[in-house]
Amino acid sequence: MLPKRFDQARPFATLGLIVLVWLFVPLVVKSFTRVTFFEAQAPFAAASSYVQDLQEFWAMRVRPKNEMIEAGRDLARLNASYELRLQENDQLQNEILRLENLLKLPPLPAFRFEPARVARRDFSGWWQRLVIRKGANYGITVGAPVVFVGGVVGRVTEVHAYTSVVDLITSPTFRLAAAAEGDPRPVSYQGGLNDSFRAPRGTVEFVPLDIYATATATRRLVTSGLGGVFPPGLTIGEITMLEPSTDGLFKTGEVRLDERLGSLTEVTVLVPLNPLEL
Amino acid sequence: MSKLIEAHRARNPRLLLFHGLVGLLVAFLVCGLAWRQLFHRGLYSERERLQNQRRIIVPGPRGNIYDREGRVLVGNRPRFSVVLNLADLRGELRTEFVKIVRNYREFPKAERPTADQLETPARTAVAQRYLDQINVILGRSEKVRPRDLKRHFDQTLLLPYILLDDLAPAEYARLIERLPVTSPLQVYTSSTRFYPYGSAAAHTLGFVGVNDDPTVEDFPGEDLLTFKMKGSLGRAGLEKKFDAHLQGETGGAIYRVDPAGYKVDLPIEKRLPVQGHNLTISLDIDLQLAAEKAMEGRVGAAVALDVRTGEVLVLASKPDYDLNTFVPRLSHEEAAQIEETGGWLNRAIQGVYPAGSTFKLITAIAGLRSGAIDRDHSSVICPGFFMVGNRRFPCWNHNGHGERNLAGAIRDSCNVFFYKYGLETGPDLIAAEARRFGFDHPTGIELPAETHRMLVADPAWKEKNLNEKWFPGDTANLAIGQGFLDVTPLQVACMVASFARGETLTKPTILHVADRPAQHTAPIGLAPADYAAILNGMEQGYQIGTGRLARIDGLSAASKTGTAQKRTPQGTIELAWMICFAPAENPQIAIAVCLESQEPDTSFGGGVYSSPIVKAILEAWKYKQDHPAAKAPVFKVGP
Repeated sequence: MLPKRFDQARPFATLGLIVLVWLFVPLVVKSFTRVTFFEAQAPFAAASSYVQDLQEFWAMRVRPKNEMIEAGRDLARLNASYELRLQENDQLQNEILRLENLLKLPPLPAFRFEPARVARRDFSGWWQRLVIRKGANYGITVGAPVVFVGGVVGRVTEVHAYTSVVDLITSPTFRLAAAAEGDPRPVSYQGGLNDSFRAPRGTVEFVPLDIYATATATRRLVTSGLGGVFPPGLTIGEITMLEPSTDGLFKTGEVRLDERLGSLTEVTVLVPLNPLEL
Repeated sequence: MSKLIEAHRARNPRLLLFHGLVGLLVAFLVCGLAWRQLFHRGLYSERERLQNQRRIIVPGPRGNIYDREGRVLVGNRPRFSVVLNLADLRGELRTEFVKIVRNYREFPKAERPTADQLETPARTAVAQRYLDQINVILGRSEKVRPRDLKRHFDQTLLLPYILLDDLAPAEYARLIERLPVTSPLQVYTSSTRFYPYGSAAAHTLGFVGVNDDPTVEDFPGEDLLTFKMKGSLGRAGLEKKFDAHLQGETGGAIYRVDPAGYKVDLPIEKRLPVQGHNLTISLDIDLQLAAEKAMEGRVGAAVALDVRTGEVLVLASKPDYDLNTFVPRLSHEEAAQIEETGGWLNRAIQGVYPAGSTFKLITAIAGLRSGAIDRDHSSVICPGFFMVGNRRFPCWNHNGHGERNLAGAIRDSCNVFFYKYGLETGPDLIAAEARRFGFDHPTGIELPAETHRMLVADPAWKEKNLNEKWFPGDTANLAIGQGFLDVTPLQVACMVASFARGETLTKPTILHVADRPAQHTAPIGLAPADYAAILNGMEQGYQIGTGRLARIDGLSAASKTGTAQKRTPQGTIELAWMICFAPAENPQIAIAVCLESQEPDTSFGGGVYSSPIVKAILEAWKYKQDHPAAKAPVFKVGP
C-alpha cells in the first residue's frame, strides 16, 4: 500500500504523466486525434443545428393563417423585386463583359455557389469562427471565400467530412486585399480583437493619403479582387476613421462590420471551379 | 556508544579546525557573492543588457516638395517587399542543418565540410522553400542568393530578410490575401523617392543617395549593438540644400535577443519614424514643362522670375536626366550617359557665358547715366562695321542698319551704336553698371553649387590678372557683351527683372511664400524719359524687331535678343540669348534664355533659336492668367 501522502497526490501525478506523454506523442498522432475529435463532435453540432431549424419551423407553423398569407404576399413582392434586379444585373453583367472583352481583361476566377447552414458559432478573444454544415461531401475547399447578403463572411480554414470551419472576417487572423469603393488602389484589411458585446470591427492599413472617411462620412470598403481569392466588389464594411501613419506614406483606420455577422444562420461558400486559378 | 562518538567528534580539535576552515571558505564565498551581487550589480546588469539587447534604427521618410500651386514635384512612393522573419525559423533552420550534416556522414572525416560551411546551404534551402511559396502565388521563379543571405545573417540578423523587393500593387495585394497573418513571410513597406514629372526641373530638385549611417537623437541604447536601415541623403539640388529640413525623424526599436541573436519578444522600447517637413518651392510646373518641352534636344538654360518678388518660376537646364532613374540607385550605364551628354551641369546657375547683345541694356544705362548717350540726339549711321583704331568690328547686319538712335539700336540690336557709345562711356563705367546689377557675384539663390566664376572685366582686372593693358577693342567687346564678360542665365534673368521694376538688384529665391512682399532695391537711376527710351526699343524689338518670333497676340512685352561667341575646346560656338519681360506696362514675369549651338562655327542667332522657348513660356503664362484655376471650396473633414 502506498503511503497516504502519495495517495493524495496521485491525480496530479497522473495528469502530469499524461501531459508528459502527450508532449512526446508524434505530431501525426496529435493531428489525427484532433481531427477525430472534431469529426466525432460534428454529428452533435449538426444535430443540434437541425433541431434548432426544426424548432424555428414549428414556431413558424403555429403562426395564424392570415399572418402567413400576408408574409407570403410580402415574399412574392420581394421575389418580384429581386427578379427585376436580376434582370438589371444581367444587363449590367453583359455590359461589364463587353467592356472587359474590349479591354482584353483576363477572366475572373469562376465560382460555384454552395449555400450552407451555420452549425455552430465560436466567438472568443482567441478566434472568431463558424462551423457550417457542409464539408468535403459538398466539395468545399480550404481557402474558399464565404459570403452572405451583407458581404464577406470569411474564409474556409478547415474542411472536414461533413462540416467546415470558417475563419470570420472579424478574426485577427483574417486578412484580405480590399479597396475603398470607387478607388482601384489596394489596401489591406485585417480583423481586429472583437469581444462578444461590441459591434464587430476590423482595421484597414496602407490606405492612400487622399482617401478620407469619418464616423459621419463613412466610406464603403469592398474587396479589390486583386488578391485572387475574393471576387471584387463584395462589401467588407464601412471605414469610420482614418488617420495618417507617422511615416506619412499611408493612413490606417477602423472598419465597422455588419452586425449580422454575429447571428448568421446561413452563408454561401464560393467554391472555386478551378482552384489552380487561385 | 553513539553518544560517545558524537561527544568525541564535537570535542575533537582537528574537526573543529576543519569546521572553522569550511566556515571560513563559505564565508569567503558568501562575501564574494555579496560583493558581486551588491556592489557590482550595476556592472553585471549592464553586461547582460549589452549582451541581450539590440537596437534597430529606422529612418523616417523625407518630406515632399511642392510647386507654388501645391502640386507634388517630389514625393515618396511606398515600396512593398516580401520579407522573411528569420527569428520564426530557428527550428526549421536547425532541422535542415542536421539533415545536411547527416548527409555528409558517409564522407571521410577529412572531406567533410565544416559546420560553418554547411550553415549557408541549410539557410538557403529553408529560405528558398519560403521563396517558392511566393513564386507560386506570383508566378515567378526567383532564387535566393546564398551570398546575400550569408551577409544578412552575419550583419543584420535582427532585421527581416528581404526576399523580393519593389512589388507591384497587384502582387502586394495577392500576397496580403494569400499569406497567413502568422506566417514568417510578411509584406513589408518602406518608402522611396518618387518624381511624378520625371526629368522636369531635375537639376533644381536634385536627387538623393543612400545613407548607410542615419543618425538618431534622443533614442536610448547608444551603447547597444545597433542595426541601421538605410536612409537617404540629399546629394544635389534642393534635396541637398534642404536635406535637414526634408529629412524624416528617425525612429527605432530595442529588442531582447537570444544568445544566437534572434529577437525573442516585442520591442522593449519603440519609436515610430516620422516624415520630414515639406517644402514649397516657387517653380510653376506648367511653365517649367512648357519651357522644357520647347528646349527638347537643345543645350542651354531658361529662367523665368516673378518680377515683383524674385521668386523663380522656371529654372530649366538641358540636357538633363530622369530623376526616377536614381531610385533606388543610378546604374553605371545611365551615369555614363549623363556624363557624356553633359547633363550633370545646371547651366542656369553653373554655366557662365558672355551675355552678348542682352548686355547692351547695361551699356545703354551706363551711357545714359554718364551722359555719353543722349536719348534724343545720340545716333549712328551703321555701315555694317565700326573701326576701332585699325581694327574692324562688325555689326551682325553686315549690310548695315542705316541711321539708328537708342531705341532703334536696341530694337535692331545694332552693334555699331553700342561700339561708339560704349567707347565714349568707357569700360570702368560700363563695368560699374554691370556690378550695380549684380553681375559680379553669385545671386545667392537657395541652391547648392551656384558658380562663382562670373566675371565683369575692367582695365584694373586685366592688368592684375593678365598683366596686359586694356585696349579700346576690349571696351568695344564689353559694350556688346563679349570679350571677358561671363555671366549665368540666372544673373541675366535677375537683371531683366530688376530693369522691369526700374531697380538694380533682384534677389532670386526658389522658395515660395504666399503673399511674399515685393522686393525693393536701389532705383535704376535713369530719368523716366531715358528709361522709356530703352523700354521703347525693347517693346519694338518684341513687336517687329529681333524678338518678334516670340510675339503672342494680346500680350505686350519687351525683349532683347543676343548672339554671343564662346571659345570651347571643340571650336568657337555661338550662344543664342533672349531676354524678355511681360506685360510691358505692368511687368510680372521676366525671362532669360541661353542656348549653346551644338556644332562649332555655325550660325545660331538668339532671335531664331531662343525665341520659341520664350514664346512657349509666355504662352503658358498667359494661358494661366486668362484661365485662373478655380479655387475649390474647402470642406473641413474630421474634427
